[in-house]
Amino acid sequence: MFLSVLVYGFINSVILVMVALGFSITFGISRVANFSHGGFYVLGGIFTWYGLIKMDLPYFLSAILSILIIGALGALMYRVVLVRLKGLELSEVIATLSLGIVILELLRGLGVFGYEFRNPVFIDGSVDILGVGVGIQRIIIVCAGALLLILLHFFVHHTKMGLAFRGVAQQEHTALSVGINPNLVSMLSLAMGSIMCALSAVLILPLGVISVDEGYDILIKALAVCIIGGLESTIGVLVAAFIIGYIEALTSMYISSSLTSVVPLACMLVILLIRPSGIFGKSKEIEERV
Amino acid sequence: MGCTKTISKEGFMILWKILCRITLVLIALLFLASHVSFAAPPPIVIGVPSSFKSIEASEGLKAITLAVEEINAKGGVKVGNEKRMLKVESIETRDMEPGVPLADALLANEKLILEKKPHVIIQGPTRSEVLLAAMDLYAQYKIPSINNAVASKFVDQYKSNPEKYRHCFRMFDGKYVVAGLGKVMEKMNKEYGFKKAYIVVQDAIWAVGIANGMNAWYKANGWEVVGFDKYPTGASDFSSSLIKAKNAGVQVVFPIFDMPQSGILVQQWKDMKVPAIFAGFISPLMGSNAWKTFGEKIEGVINIVFDGGNLPLEKYPPAKKFYDAFTKRWGEMQVGHKPAVDYDGVYAMVRAIERAGSLDPDKIAKELEKTNMVGATGRIHFADHQYVFGDDPKVDAISAVYQWKKGGKRVPIYPDSVAEGVIEKPASMK
Repeated sequence: MFLSVLVYGFINSVILVMVALGFSITFGISRVANFSHGGFYVLGGIFTWYGLIKMDLPYFLSAILSILIIGALGALMYRVVLVRLKGLELSEVIATLSLGIVILELLRGLGVFGYEFRNPVFIDGSVDILGVGVGIQRIIIVCAGALLLILLHFFVHHTKMGLAFRGVAQQEHTALSVGINPNLVSMLSLAMGSIMCALSAVLILPLGVISVDEGYDILIKALAVCIIGGLESTIGVLVAAFIIGYIEALTSMYISSSLTSVVPLACMLVILLIRPSGIFGKSKEIEERV
Repeated sequence: MGCTKTISKEGFMILWKILCRITLVLIALLFLASHVSFAAPPPIVIGVPSSFKSIEASEGLKAITLAVEEINAKGGVKVGNEKRMLKVESIETRDMEPGVPLADALLANEKLILEKKPHVIIQGPTRSEVLLAAMDLYAQYKIPSINNAVASKFVDQYKSNPEKYRHCFRMFDGKYVVAGLGKVMEKMNKEYGFKKAYIVVQDAIWAVGIANGMNAWYKANGWEVVGFDKYPTGASDFSSSLIKAKNAGVQVVFPIFDMPQSGILVQQWKDMKVPAIFAGFISPLMGSNAWKTFGEKIEGVINIVFDGGNLPLEKYPPAKKFYDAFTKRWGEMQVGHKPAVDYDGVYAMVRAIERAGSLDPDKIAKELEKTNMVGATGRIHFADHQYVFGDDPKVDAISAVYQWKKGGKRVPIYPDSVAEGVIEKPASMK
């Protein structure tokens, strides 16, 4: 049983990383907490489904198109809504949360409920890992998660745009003084976060059926991971995802499966009590010391 | 010499006026006559307050519409000396959506009653506690209703004050799931010696209620229940239950789920090669399209159709007739609960109105109690204002249990009166 916890705890942790990374990247660079994350997630899945099932597009093309559309939507959201609210944090939260709810409830209203909304797994079948059977789709998610982290590291440290992203994240005014356009970078960070969100939807949703309510669940999970790890820290996301993933797996195996949904929220509460900026968070560190 | 009469100009004008007046009177008479003889009496309004973002309720509304279209096509309902058409008025109560308060769902019910003035209600709220609260509303407005929530306390509430709740009737009860699947477990025990089960259930009142009932059944019948795990709605990893079931050598995994993610459970069952049979209720695997959606992974799964009429039963023609009519009108039927009993509910209500010869709610309720008709789900009759379910569709309404078999065929295996095949072990147990 312990091996099962080890294997599925690892997989579930990577799934949490995938789900939370887009949210964290966006906040880390533009300081926008994108609460429409859950809406974009479900929309990414639905666009892929629509392209694949209704338009008969090849799976890969449909997935790429949906990821790009969601990325464009993220950029558009910044350009049309968030740029006007810059600095008004509460208004940003209200605006993105409202948009997320509008997307999800609109999808529900348009008839996205039922069991036909399912994207097939990329490769059917299973393999044994440490004697535990695991579906190949979950293996693909783990590989994609690892690849995404490597690409992200390369992008942020070795590309001009990545360095610009870091510049704006560290000190927006200084970045401006060296010719970096913070608005453009923030817009691109929204696009990038949305792309990651859609990518996670394309990879994870084939495990089940696309449902509107999943958008709300995903938002809570992403929020929990980011708050525990530190909202702007990629390393924090990684560590927090593994903490939550393994506590969930252990709870499900040795205590009660019905408590698994409580785990992320309980962890978040504990962290908010003892270290409000999260394990690797920096923004409130000085305030906390005071 | 001929005599010619000429009409003076004044005479002509008088004649013209008289003709005009006669014409006007004739037109008025014609209009009145046509109005009196051809005006259709107002339709009988069937209210359908439910949570239509739930796939079961939405498919149920389609079945109600189908029944109404059929009845109207035959000239409508005979009420006393006149024929009246049926009209469906539905309202979205949102009671199955997360976070929607009971009061809001009740408000939607009352809005329907006050604005659309339904004569009767079919299907009713989806969530059990909303139905129990709505019973007071229906009693207050004296509206005959045949409801369809799987509320385990409906009969208790009815019995607590039969006079007050005399207009409230109900279609399905969760206890019939336990009864039906209990018989399937008996068959598996007899056939293969299975005696070890693991219960995996969605953490929702209705599902846990059924699972508790099944747990009691297992214990009363000498089975060993190795585990009883509840999963929150939205869970996407069931590996802990499956590994525990596998290690304990469980032969039957008993699932009760209607959340979309529950399809993952069956995929993990195959991925983890758990040598046990799945027998219970997994809503996403219900419709004939599930094979296309999930593929061969669902082969061997045993699923219960709450209302047998939702399966095209070859051995019970009314069920097949309904299923074919439904799929012809609406396409694929995705669910195993609500459409057939809702369809039967419309016919039961209409016949009660015809027997009563009026729309008086007390008379309709009295006639509903006497219902005894052949329906898509079996013979429809009430005990304690509740459809009676049994094993033979010629005697009672039935639930039907089927098994997914090679090639994507849903083969009925229970009750014996409609069974078309026997239970087969899934590939992981062979």
